Formats: sequence, C-alpha cells, structure tokens
Amino acid sequence: MADSVADATAALTDDGCVPLAGGTWIMRASIRGEAQSRRYVGIGRIPELNTIDVKDGEIRLGACVTHARLVESFAGLAQWNGLAAAAGAAANPAVREMATVGGNLSTQDFFAADLPPALLSLDAAVELVRPGGTERLSVGRYLDVRRTLEPGALMTSIVLPRRPMRTGHARLPLRKAGDYPVAIVSMAAVLSSDGRVDVIRIAVGSVEPAAGRWTELEEKLLGRPLDPDTAHEMAEATADTFTGRDSVEAPGWYRVKVLPALVRRATQAVLSSR
Amino acid sequence: MPTSLMINGERRTSNRDPMTPLIDVLRDEFLLTGAKSVCREGVCGACTVHLDGRLAVSCLVPIGTVEGKDVRTVESLAMAGELSPLQQVMEQHDVVQCGMCFPGILMTLTSFFQAQPNAGRDEIKAALVGNICRCTGYERLVDAAVTLTKRS
Ligand SMILES: Cc1cc2nc3c(=O)[nH]c(=O)nc-3n(C[C@H](O)[C@H](O)[C@H](O)COP(=O)(O)OP(=O)(O)OC[C@H]3O[C@@H](n4cnc5c(N)ncnc54)[C@H](O)[C@@H]3O)c2cc1C
Ligand code: FES
Ligand code: FES
Repeated sequence: MADSVADATAALTDDGCVPLAGGTWIMRASIRGEAQSRRYVGIGRIPELNTIDVKDGEIRLGACVTHARLVESFAGLAQWNGLAAAAGAAANPAVREMATVGGNLSTQDFFAADLPPALLSLDAAVELVRPGGTERLSVGRYLDVRRTLEPGALMTSIVLPRRPMRTGHARLPLRKAGDYPVAIVSMAAVLSSDGRVDVIRIAVGSVEPAAGRWTELEEKLLGRPLDPDTAHEMAEATADTFTGRDSVEAPGWYRVKVLPALVRRATQAVLSSR
Repeated sequence: MPTSLMINGERRTSNRDPMTPLIDVLRDEFLLTGAKSVCREGVCGACTVHLDGRLAVSCLVPIGTVEGKDVRTVESLAMAGELSPLQQVMEQHDVVQCGMCFPGILMTLTSFFQAQPNAGRDEIKAALVGNICRCTGYERLVDAAVTLTKRS
C-alpha cells in the first residue's frame, strides 16, 4: 500500500506492477479467466487521491473517490444531476462504496462503465503523473491512450469544469437494477432563455467497446428548442453511425436500437434538472 | 507481510498473501462463518461486511488493503447476546428460509437504516439490489423491514 503519489509511481515504474484502487475489477480477474500474476500497488490510502477540491472554475476529484462519495457530494445539485445519477445507479450499494472514479475510467476491457460517458458529456479532464511530469488530458483522450501508457503512469485526479449546464444520464440495464447497462446516454446542455440549445455534449456508453461523443446528434440539436420528441426523432435519424458490440447479454443491433429511447430519457432528465 | 486489523472489536493479524480476499480470512482463519462465500464477484452480497463503517463485499477486498481498518461482521450484531432490532423483526416475521443470503442482508440493512431510518418500501428495495435471495421472494423480508421503520 502506497502512502503517497511518489511512492506509488516509484513502485509502478517496475514493469508489470499496476495500481489497485477499489479492487472491484482486479479481484474478479480469475473469474474472467485472466491471470492475476502481476504485482499490485494499493493506491486507495493516498490522501491526495481521496480529496474533493471545489474551486471557482472547476472541481477536482481525487482518482480514488468512490461512487458512493460522488453521490453524497453531488446529489441534489442540478448541474451534477447526470454525474450523481451515473454513480448512484451503477452496480449495487456495497460495490459503490468500493469502486473508484479512477478505476472506472481506467478499466480497459470493461465496456459498460457508467462514468466514462457521464464525464465525456461534462467535458471533464484527467490529470496524470507520468515519468516525465504531470499532464492534463481530456477524458476522451485518456480513454484512447489508457492502454498504451508507460509503466509509472498514474491518474491522480478528474477535473470537472463548472459551467451553468443542465445534465442527465439514462441507462438501460436488462433487469431493473444491479446488472450492467446495455446502453448509456449522457447529456449536458446549456440552454438559452427561450429554451434553445446553446451548447450540448452527448456521449454514448456500452454500445461500442469505448464510450464516445455523438457529435452528429449534437450538431442536429444545436440552436433548436430542446424537447424529448425532437431529440428522439433526431437520434433515430443518426443512430446508424454506431456499430453495437455483440455479447452474451445483448446483440449489437439491440444496443443501437434502444439509443433513441435513451436520448429521450436523457433529454427529460436534462429538462427537469434545475 | 502480515496484516493487522480490528475484527468485531478485537485486534487480529493475518499472515495470508495480501491479495487474499477478506472473506477467506474471516472464514478460514478466524472462523467467522457468518459471512458466506457464494459468487465471489460482488453480485450476490452474501459476504457483505462493514469496513470502517461502510458496506463492503468482502470477496472483493484484498486483505493487504485493510491494515488498521475496522471490520464488522454479522456476528457483531448480537455481541451482547441479544439480537439487534433488525434481527428481531426478521425472526418475528419468520422471514429466513435457507439463510444463505441473510448475513449479507442484515449487514446491508443495518447500515442502510443508520443512514435512512425512515426509509420507505421502494428505498428499502433499492438498498437490497446487491443482495440476492433465492428463497423468500423478498416481499416478506421487505414487509419486516418496513415495520422497523414505522416503529422508530
Ligand atoms: C457486481 C458489480 C456490478 C457492477 N456494475 C457496474 C455498473 O453498472 N456500472 C459501472 O460503471 N461499473 C459497474 N461495475 C464495475 C465497477 O464499477 C468497476 O469494477 C470499478 O469502477 C473499477 O473501479 P475500482 O476502483 O474497483 O478499480 P480496480 O479494480 O482497483 O482497478 C481497475 C483497473 O483500473 C486501473 N486503475 C485504477 N485506478 C487507477 C488510477 N488512479 N490510475 C491508473 N489506473 C488505475 C487498475 O490498474 C485496473 O486496471 C460493477 C462491478 C461489480 C462487482
Ligand atoms: S460472495 Fe461476495 S458478493 Fe457474492
Ligand atoms: S433465505 Fe435462502 S437465499 Fe435468502
């Protein structure tokens, strides 16, 4: 167990050593049929990784902040409705107490994660400590490079810009709760006084192997009044840009098919978040 | 490296490999067999304990990460020889069937009622999404839990 970021990164430069945060992914390696032979450095106790720092223009979340703490800190605040919904609906209460934001963003082979689309819609960034120094990357960029980071790299925080946006997160699990979502739509929008879309960011999770923005839909909605029916219609017209992944839980076509309905729900969540 | 921790108020030391799941240490080493090892992947909740006062599925907690922490298992609920109010309502309503899920359910609800003593039916159900029970169908269990909130 590392006591500081410096301790952790020193241990991590040893090839084959990886960070262990909440452990909820790593501890299931053998069940997935993966080897668990590598060395781990526990990062959950590092004070800097457990703080939530609220500044004027941004909020800095330590990478080891848990889903449960996100919900406690952000529930009831309109601007963070989407993030609180994402963290609060994932998994189950005990796992939410253990699983961390940094772990959720860093789990390469977990395609149904809730926080990547939520954080993409919020235009969040991550801070990494790398052997060459500290670096800030957009969440989208981090999702692209996380597989290829050199030994010694550690995500220390997630940075949320504070803007007057309204946000929502819609997910479709197959059961009512407790299992992985088949598809996820996260939305963040700034609306003008007459209800038109000034800024919008929409992200999709679980449909393809990595979460990503839905820019075609964003472009169609820009400048129009935001309402669930229009959003649904526009989503139907642009959903063919996705290639759903097949898995035992759901075929790829189904994941794409449910997207317009999730766009409708995310829009309703955005409109009701005040 | 040995790990030293508090379990139900007593200091204990385990010499198991740091990646050993806490559930195995509790059951095999300290013979606290209340928590059950069932799915070993965080889904069923039968192994639920309290870790520094917060819920944890002990099958996913590596023992090496809990040095100095406070672990409470289902055995701690009736330490003074008297069942906790939650245990009492479960017994009065004759809820328990095979009992495999119950230690976890008790730990989840104990922690949930500390946070939300006046919770309603739907909230109780939502709190239990990580505790799978094959026998009771949940309804009787939730009925019993609801009487506890009314009583308080
Ligand atoms: C029953 C169950 C249901 C679940 N349901 C959902 C769900 O509905 N939605 C959802 O999103 N998730 C769900 N999860 C997954 C869970 O959220 C992830 O397992 C979790 O987010 C991983 O976080 P962790 O802190 O436990 O990561 P760990 O297991 O500790 O680590 C996961 C990976 O991330 C790396 N890592 C961790 N922290 C860092 C860091 N700071 N810098 C660099 N790399 C790092 C590790 O090296 C490892 O590769 C579920 C899990 C369980 C057990
Ligand atoms: S055994 Fe731990 S959750 Fe099932
Ligand atoms: S009583 Fe048998 S699993 Fe719940």
